[in-house]
Amino acid sequence: MTKKKTATQRKPSKPSSHGHSHRQGDCVNLLRQLSAYIDDELPSDVCTEIRRHMGACPNCEVFISSLQHTVTLCRHRPAPQLTSADRKNMRRAILDAANAQ
Amino acid sequence: MRAIAPHTPPRKPARQTPEEFDKLYRDHVDLIYRYAYRLCGDTESAKDLVQETFLNAYQGLKDFRGEARVSTWLYTIASRACIRMRRKRKGQPEHELSIEEFVPTSEGEFRLQIPMDGLSPEEALQNKELRKALDQAIEKLPQKYRMALVLRDMEGFSAKEVGTIMGLNERAVKSRLHRARLFVRRELSARGITHHDGYKPGSMHS
Repeated sequence: MTKKKTATQRKPSKPSSHGHSHRQGDCVNLLRQLSAYIDDELPSDVCTEIRRHMGACPNCEVFISSLQHTVTLCRHRPAPQLTSADRKNMRRAILDAANAQ
Repeated sequence: MRAIAPHTPPRKPARQTPEEFDKLYRDHVDLIYRYAYRLCGDTESAKDLVQETFLNAYQGLKDFRGEARVSTWLYTIASRACIRMRRKRKGQPEHELSIEEFVPTSEGEFRLQIPMDGLSPEEALQNKELRKALDQAIEKLPQKYRMALVLRDMEGFSAKEVGTIMGLNERAVKSRLHRARLFVRRELSARGITHHDGYKPGSMHS
């Protein structure tokens, strides 16, 4: 997440990969912890460090947001429902298979 | 349909009475179908998995020792049945996902190109294209990662409970879950979904 560009090329409203004050490996290290961060499983000092990193790295901030949105979408994805006929037919098939054994 | 319950005595299975089975089936069939559909991605395979699960439950309930909730026990049977059914269909091993493959390499890979701003998740998911993209991303996951994602993020189990169902320790569950989430995020990021069908801009902001 750390491509190099000059600061004058930055557009404030878009994620940008330049302007880093941290080492290149920091972004990958952060990426390893993102699910634990989203699930609120990290110690407070690690969370503070991640938030500090995000402040210096717009791309990581956007990336975390996109991962949070992904998890939110998964949590709210509805599943199709069975019909009464499906339930009845499956019950019959299960009992038939059980009795055949 | 093949009997597969690992808890079942090999010669003469101890079976439930039809009344016990009916209660178990009535109370849990919708739950297990929802899980099966999320694992399989299509209705017919999901119904096969539900039948396999309850057939095994029918034959094995008397061996159920009550150490877990009945629903957790059924999820465990369904998960094992799903793995066996996949092995019967496909022989090749699943590939492992590494963290490094999810590091974005270009500017466009950091964000989701989908309409979510100002929308609740339910509203955003009324977009058919988004639902399809999400379903396809989950379906593309190797099974062991998909199972962790479905159980944790869609069925709402804790990491510890997912570990019980999948026979893994919590650390392994979290590792699989993280890779699964990164995989789905990357798939969604690669899809530019700009059209929001059924809604006019501004009409759905709360």
